[in-house]
Amino acid sequence: MKSKIILKDERKTSIVSYILLTIFTIVAIMPMVYLISTSLRPNGALYEFPPRLFPKIENLTLENYRYIISESKFYVNFLNSIVAAVITVCVSAFISTGLAFVLGKFRFKGKKLLFGFIIMTMIIPGTTLIIPQFELAITLGTVNKLMGLIPFYIAWVIPFSTFMIKGFIENIPDDLMEASEIDGASVLTVFFRVVLPLSSPAIASVSIFNFLSTWEEYPWANTVINDNQKRTLPIAISGFFGQHQFTQWGYVFAMSVLTLIPVIVVFICFQKYFVSGLMSGSVKG
Amino acid sequence: MNIKSRSSRLQVALIMFPGLVVFVFFTVYPIAKLFIMSFFQWDFGSMLRQKFIGFENYTTVFSDRIFRTSFVNTLVYTIVTVPGQMALGLFVALLLMNIQRLKITFRVANYIPVITSWVIASLIFRYLFNTEGILNYFFTSILYVTNHNIRWLDSRWSGLWVAMLLGIWKGVGWNMVVFLAALQQVPKDLYEAASLDGCNGVQRFFHVTIPCIRGTILFALIMLTIGGFNVFTSIKMITNGNPAHQTDTLLTWMYHKAFSTGKFGYSSALSFVMAGTLAILAILQFKVMRSHDAKAGLS
Repeated sequence: MKSKIILKDERKTSIVSYILLTIFTIVAIMPMVYLISTSLRPNGALYEFPPRLFPKIENLTLENYRYIISESKFYVNFLNSIVAAVITVCVSAFISTGLAFVLGKFRFKGKKLLFGFIIMTMIIPGTTLIIPQFELAITLGTVNKLMGLIPFYIAWVIPFSTFMIKGFIENIPDDLMEASEIDGASVLTVFFRVVLPLSSPAIASVSIFNFLSTWEEYPWANTVINDNQKRTLPIAISGFFGQHQFTQWGYVFAMSVLTLIPVIVVFICFQKYFVSGLMSGSVKG
Repeated sequence: MNIKSRSSRLQVALIMFPGLVVFVFFTVYPIAKLFIMSFFQWDFGSMLRQKFIGFENYTTVFSDRIFRTSFVNTLVYTIVTVPGQMALGLFVALLLMNIQRLKITFRVANYIPVITSWVIASLIFRYLFNTEGILNYFFTSILYVTNHNIRWLDSRWSGLWVAMLLGIWKGVGWNMVVFLAALQQVPKDLYEAASLDGCNGVQRFFHVTIPCIRGTILFALIMLTIGGFNVFTSIKMITNGNPAHQTDTLLTWMYHKAFSTGKFGYSSALSFVMAGTLAILAILQFKVMRSHDAKAGLS
């Protein structure tokens, strides 16, 4: 008798949960649906009255996409974004793992202080450093170049990456490394043959975060890059905005959809790493 | 591991070297430079000859009316969005614990706002809240709440509300995943024991769930407070500080002063005030949570 009541209660909770979750999901994805539907209607009809959530079928058009792909510098911007993101991700994965390995597995003077300092810089919002960094970019002559973005991005992701990967490496048993050392392997060999392959799950989840944050980075790129040919996608999108008296929302949203596609692909392919990365970070912290 | 020979010491240094160089050159050096700049008169007019002026930039910052406005705006943004997204994220995570099917679908769908870039999300919200936009149509012609289009983006608080709604909308998914991970670690028998003692659902939540996920709450609180103070792109895209800098936050005001008026010294001082505030907040949050733990005998 009693168990029946509990079962009924559980069922009620789960039905209510489904309903509430559906509401949350609608709120979460509705703006995206609206983004896509707006990108598919003619540029002039964006403020039609009454506004419609979905365009009329006969009004559907790929005109905005055609314009973005053929008339704008889309492929140039796309390439710039890809180059900046991929180089940042690869280089930072490599050098952060190096830092994490040394900080996680070796004993030397000043280690705690160094790690503490690296962690402390995570508190300072990156944008506050934009003035001295801009001056540095001018001194190095990298304004308006992709090289004005990449080293800064790498420096920007190092603290978080090192912190995450270090947590992972500390859990790799010392025996594994010592065994290969006894076999005569040098520290460098241990790093390349043992540490790098073993920490690949941590590196993967950190890399996905780094890819996304580089792909969408706006304040710094907007400061350093002026040249149309060197713009990354976020800057190109915001460039459509306020360029004319009336914002060409159709173009803005078509470009936004094209920009989101790689992100969605990465997200779906590496969904597992997303969650594991966040989990290890949060449970540890 | 111990470093044994000279050659292995060299190799350890070699492995650490690239990361350290990039970090020192592109992060540590700018921090030092920022600190120095904040004590100099450093603007477009004095690019070549900077004058040491002590704390003058700092006093200018504190006596600046718009600095105070933007400080209040940033605080309000953080105070509203951080608990807002944490509560909603935790709520969604709890809902997900209640269901068996479609778990992954719901989780993925609710995570989509997190991976949408700030630029794109801000533009969508700006479009939704446009004076001629669909939300106003919804309020005037379907719900009949008002009879004229509301100019959301033309006044301080409504403009900030749009940015805050965006902040919450975009943050719920992250909190959901973080809290879901934490909830899965809570031992099941604790809940059973609480039930046997006659605790109802609400009591179980406050006496079992919350204490068990305290560490995660602290983690989220600190990360999100940093994120809240970092608010920049959404304000820039949605209101651009308008009207008359009433919706500026610390970073947009700092950026404006530096790159539109060339007051680099002033902006550097402002950046330091902001970093200092954040450091104090983070330490405070940490201390408060720790003392709570100590009281509850959990530490």
